[in-house]
Amino acid sequence: MSQLHQMSGKSDATKREWSRFKYPQSLYKYGITLGVVLFIIYSLHYLNVDLSRLFGIFGRLGDLLANRYYPPDIEYIKDADYIGSIIETIQMAYLGALFGILISIFLGWFAAYNVSPSRRYLYPVARVVTMLFRSVHEMIWAILFVTILGFGMLPGVLALTMFSVGFAGKLFAEEIEAIHMGEVEAIRAMGGNHLQVFVYGVVPQVRVALTGIAIYTWDVAFRAATVVGFVGAGGMGWYLKRNVMQIETHRTAAILLSILILVIISEFISAWARNYVSKAK
Amino acid sequence: MAILEVRDLKASYSSSGPEILKGISFEVENDDFFAIIGPSGAGKSTLIRCINRLLEPSSGSIKLNGVDVLKLNNKELRHLRRHIGMIFQEFNLINRMSVMDNVLSGRLGYVGTLRSVLRIFSDKDIQNALMLLERVGLQDHVDKRADELSGGQRQRVGIARALMQEPTLLLLDEPTSALDPKISREVMELIKDIATELKVPVLCNIHDVQLAKETCNKIIGLQDGYKMFDGPTETLAQANLEEIYSMEVL
Ligand SMILES: Nc1ncnc2c1ncn2[C@@H]1O[C@H](COP(=O)(O)OP(=O)(O)OP(=O)(O)O)[C@@H](O)[C@H]1O
Ligand SMILES: [Mg+2]
Repeated sequence: MSQLHQMSGKSDATKREWSRFKYPQSLYKYGITLGVVLFIIYSLHYLNVDLSRLFGIFGRLGDLLANRYYPPDIEYIKDADYIGSIIETIQMAYLGALFGILISIFLGWFAAYNVSPSRRYLYPVARVVTMLFRSVHEMIWAILFVTILGFGMLPGVLALTMFSVGFAGKLFAEEIEAIHMGEVEAIRAMGGNHLQVFVYGVVPQVRVALTGIAIYTWDVAFRAATVVGFVGAGGMGWYLKRNVMQIETHRTAAILLSILILVIISEFISAWARNYVSKAK
Repeated sequence: MAILEVRDLKASYSSSGPEILKGISFEVENDDFFAIIGPSGAGKSTLIRCINRLLEPSSGSIKLNGVDVLKLNNKELRHLRRHIGMIFQEFNLINRMSVMDNVLSGRLGYVGTLRSVLRIFSDKDIQNALMLLERVGLQDHVDKRADELSGGQRQRVGIARALMQEPTLLLLDEPTSALDPKISREVMELIKDIATELKVPVLCNIHDVQLAKETCNKIIGLQDGYKMFDGPTETLAQANLEEIYSMEVL
C-alpha cells in the first residue's frame, strides 16, 4: 500500500469525486468551444475560399514581380529629393513617437486605476481618450490633419503623435496597474503627494517596461510614417503614391525596397535597444 | 497625557463588505511602546492603517496631539502624515533606488515637489540620513541598491527612512515577521532603543507574543475586530491569551 493511503484513517473504498470544470462552467466551456469551431467553418464556407486559387496567388505574384517590377530603379531612390523624403520620414516618426510617448506617460498615469490622481474625473477621461485614440487608424488621423492643416510634415507628425498615444497609452496604463502597491503605500504614508507617489512609488517599478514599450512605439510609428505620405502628410509615402498611380512599376519596386530596408534597419536597432534595456534591469 | 486617542473606531474595506473593526477604543501615552496582538485576520493591520488613514474608517474618532485626524482635508492629512513614521512587514522600500535615496525619501513631505522630483535634498537632510544609517549599522551600504540587501538590512533602511520623518508617532505593521528569530530580536531591540532615545510612542502589530512581552510596555489584544485586552504587559495573563486566541497558547 502506498504511503499516501496510510495517511487517511478512512477506508480506501470511498472513491472521491473531482473534475476540473464543474457542472455549469463545463457546459459554458464546451458550448463556447463548439461555437468557435462552428463559426470558423461557417466563415470559410461563406468566403467560399478556393484553396487552389489561394495558393495560385503566389505563382502569379512571382510572375508579376519578375516581369514588371524587376529590376527596381535604384537610380530613382538615390535622387536627392527622395533621400530628403526619407530623412523627413525619420524625423516625422521620431517627433511623433516622442510626443506620443510623452503624452502617453501622463495619460497612462491618469488612466491607471490604482494610482490615478483623481479616480472620479481624470481616470474616466483618460480611459475614454486612450480608447478614442486607439480606435482611429493612423491614415484617418493623417487625412484629418491634412484636411485641416494642408500638405506637409506637420499633419504627419500630429497623425503619428495621435497614433503613438493610442498605441502606448493603454500599454503604459496596464503596466502601471500591475505594479506592487507596497512602495506606493509607503510614499503615501509619509505624506507624499500624487506626483511624488508617481515619481518615487511608480516610475522606478515601471521604468524598464515603459522603455521597452517606448521602443515598440517608435517601431510602429516608423512603419506608419512610411505611408502617411500617401494622403499628403509628408515623407516618402507621397513618392510611393505618385509612382503607383503612374504605374511606374520599377520605381515603385525601388521605393518598396527602400522601405523594406529601412524598416529592417529600424527593427535591428530597436531589438538591440530593447535587449540593452532589459539587461539594465 | 494621551498623545493618541482612538474612540469607537469602526472600519470596513467596502461599504457593503463586512465590518473589520467593530468599535475599538484606546489611548497611547507619550512614552508607550504598544503591542497589538491577535490571531491572523483579527484586524491588526486594518487598525494600524486607519490611524494614518491609508484606510478610511467608517466611524469613530482619532485624535493625534489633539488634532482630529478624521476631519482633515487632503492637504492637512499629508501634512499630518509627515509626522507619522510607518514601518512595514514587507519593508516597502523603493527597490531600484539606493539605500541613501530610500532614506532621503523620508523627507518627501517636507521638501517641495519639484526639489523632491529632482532629488535635491538639503545638506542637513543628507547629514541626518548618514547619521541615521550609521545608527542602524548600515554605514557601509549607503550606495547599494535596496534590493541588494538582506531582509534584516532592508528593515533597517525602513527604520532609518521612518526616522528621517522626525516622527511624533511610529506605526509598525509586523516589522519582523519576514525575518528570522535572531534578527527579529535585534531589529525590535533597535526600534525600542531608538524610540526610547527619541521619546517617540510606538504602535506595533506583532505575531510573536513572547517578543511582544519582551519589548513592549503595553498590549492590546484584538480578536475578530473587538478589543479583548488592553493593559500593561505585566498584567497579561495566560487566561487573556487564551481568550484572545480562543485556543491554547504555548
Ligand atoms: N484589502 C482588503 N480588502 C478586503 N478585505 C481585507 C483587505 N485586507 C484585509 N481584509 C480583511 O480584513 C480582515 C482583517 O485583516 P487584517 O489584515 O487587518 O488582519 P491582521 O490582524 O493584520 O492579520 P495578519 O496577522 O494575518 O496580518 C480579514 O478578514 C481580511 O480578510
Ligand atoms: Mg496584518
